[in-house]
Amino acid sequence: MTNTAQKLDTIPLVDSGYWSSVTEAIRTEAERLLSSGEVTAVIGYRAGRRSGTALPAIATSPEQARELVFSPGCVNNLALYLTKAKKDVAKKGKVAIVAKGCDLKALAGLMGESQLKREELVIIGVACAGVYGASADRSLPLSEETIARKCRECTVHAPEGVDLTAGSVPALPQLSPEEAEELARLEAMTPRERWAFWTEHFSRCVRCMACRQVCPFCYCEQCYCDRNRPQGVETSPRPAGNTAWHIVRGMHLAGRCAGCAECERACPMDIPLNLLNRKMAQELKELYGHEAGIAPKEKGPLAEYREDDDQSFIK
Amino acid sequence: MPKMITEQNLRALIDLLVKEGSRVVGPKAAGTMTLYEPLAAGEELVLTELPRRSAKEAFFPLCETILTYAKGEEGVQVNDIDPARFPETVLVAVRPCDAAAPGILDAVFSWDYDDQFYQERRKKTAIIGLACTKADDACFCTAVGLSPAETQGSDLFLTPLSGGGFRVEAVTEKGEKLLARYSQLFGEAGSAQPLPPAEPGGEKLELARIKAWLDANFESPLWQEIADRCAGCGACAFLCPACHCFDINDEGTEAKGARRKSWDACGFAKFTNHASGHNPRDAQNKRYRNRLMHKFKYYDDKFGKHLCTGCGRCVRACPVGIDIKAVLDEINSK
Repeated sequence: MTNTAQKLDTIPLVDSGYWSSVTEAIRTEAERLLSSGEVTAVIGYRAGRRSGTALPAIATSPEQARELVFSPGCVNNLALYLTKAKKDVAKKGKVAIVAKGCDLKALAGLMGESQLKREELVIIGVACAGVYGASADRSLPLSEETIARKCRECTVHAPEGVDLTAGSVPALPQLSPEEAEELARLEAMTPRERWAFWTEHFSRCVRCMACRQVCPFCYCEQCYCDRNRPQGVETSPRPAGNTAWHIVRGMHLAGRCAGCAECERACPMDIPLNLLNRKMAQELKELYGHEAGIAPKEKGPLAEYREDDDQSFIK
Repeated sequence: MPKMITEQNLRALIDLLVKEGSRVVGPKAAGTMTLYEPLAAGEELVLTELPRRSAKEAFFPLCETILTYAKGEEGVQVNDIDPARFPETVLVAVRPCDAAAPGILDAVFSWDYDDQFYQERRKKTAIIGLACTKADDACFCTAVGLSPAETQGSDLFLTPLSGGGFRVEAVTEKGEKLLARYSQLFGEAGSAQPLPPAEPGGEKLELARIKAWLDANFESPLWQEIADRCAGCGACAFLCPACHCFDINDEGTEAKGARRKSWDACGFAKFTNHASGHNPRDAQNKRYRNRLMHKFKYYDDKFGKHLCTGCGRCVRACPVGIDIKAVLDEINSK
């Protein structure tokens, strides 16, 4: 690689003024919402101890609202904190949430599944330029090199249907769709090659369940895969149970997954889980013309029956 | 005279050990990561990166079968696993934060129950430690009383030299034996200078002060504050060199199957779920509290040690940015 090419990769995608203007807009709105008593908590991000990092934060006072930030380190999908899985946060009363476009899709999905009510929520949408990938060097600015794979193909930079939009979407270059390319590469494989690809990845799974725990749609109070009387899926981190777990996860999210790719980001073993999610989404689109989007839909194709459903698989 | 070994000879040592039938485990490329894995040859050894998971699995595997059963015509046959069959193992290029862990865990695995699986592996393993010359902003070994040049826990310890190769120090008798047995691969260190050790950042922690706070703060709003964010996964515990909780499951069919012991994590909602359905740690705040208490209070009360070597893996891996060093800093300043 030549020096020029290296430089192109590391050129900041947006100038630093963008981040501070989004941050200021979030702070102002959060402060207003908390001072007026309109909400009792604002779910957003604050800066972490390590440079370039940010973490989910629940601000309950105007002072805490001043600590909220938006930076390329704001990787989390905060919709997680509105699910049944995080009952403690909902107890705080009416809340506001900072949401990127991909997070909004998750909120819409949760509303469709009757987990959330729009009127009980204040949404501070972010005009998002993208966030860091899991392995990005956070001492560098957001660039083609450091941006998350999902953000390279983002179609929801500008949030829709929100109560307020923080910042405005800057001009962004077209980035090559790495994940789509990877999916195409997998699809071009023979089943045996593809099986080898996944077998290798699943062999490293430690069953820490981070993929499940960060997923806004994994809100079942009793996960089938945790059952032991009788056991549904082997819980031991071994090839059979690991494979079964990831297949169950992928299937259960088919038509529901909002594509935030949190499962993949959270995986400490670098398993490219979003490829499975995307493959399922693609199948659902081809079979049922269904896509998880911004508008809440009451039922997904796998939760309803229609006379004209494809039945060619019944032999 | 101090000894040294060239990188080439270190790799040759691995080749030789493998040839002699030892299991050699060291940092190896695994997809996008480095993991401590069995090495088939010296050339597989990766010297530049901290493995994603700790070295504890060499003694305490992620999952191991502890018995198998099969139903035959003469009833159920139960087969125990014989730990005497575990192979002689050399753990090579182990970072000080990983090498220090087994010395901490020995206490619990030989306490009220002698864990033969752990102990047999421990007895049969020699550890070749490797000093760190670079640290990242998650590393904090120096804050918990260790250092990038800490030899504690290693049998043989390697320190990178400025001109290439490593200075070799025998820390234990096991190390002396390795040195003597493969003396042809080691040379005289001469005047070569070691590379300066890494300098992990972060304030030093006063662990006695932290423990005193934990002694007095079983109930504290801090636990809820962290629990509000905690997603309840096991990434922190599974990457930790000192976390050692496990679960036992019988898996298989009526005809045959196995009893397996696998890593467990106190962050999981069902970790302390009783058969009755009662769960004494029924909320995440109680579970995170246990994580901290176990590491810096309970283990200290029982064994006079703490369950943290400052490797920073939990800090790097936490999907919701919970930073144990920041939590400890906060407690330290209270």
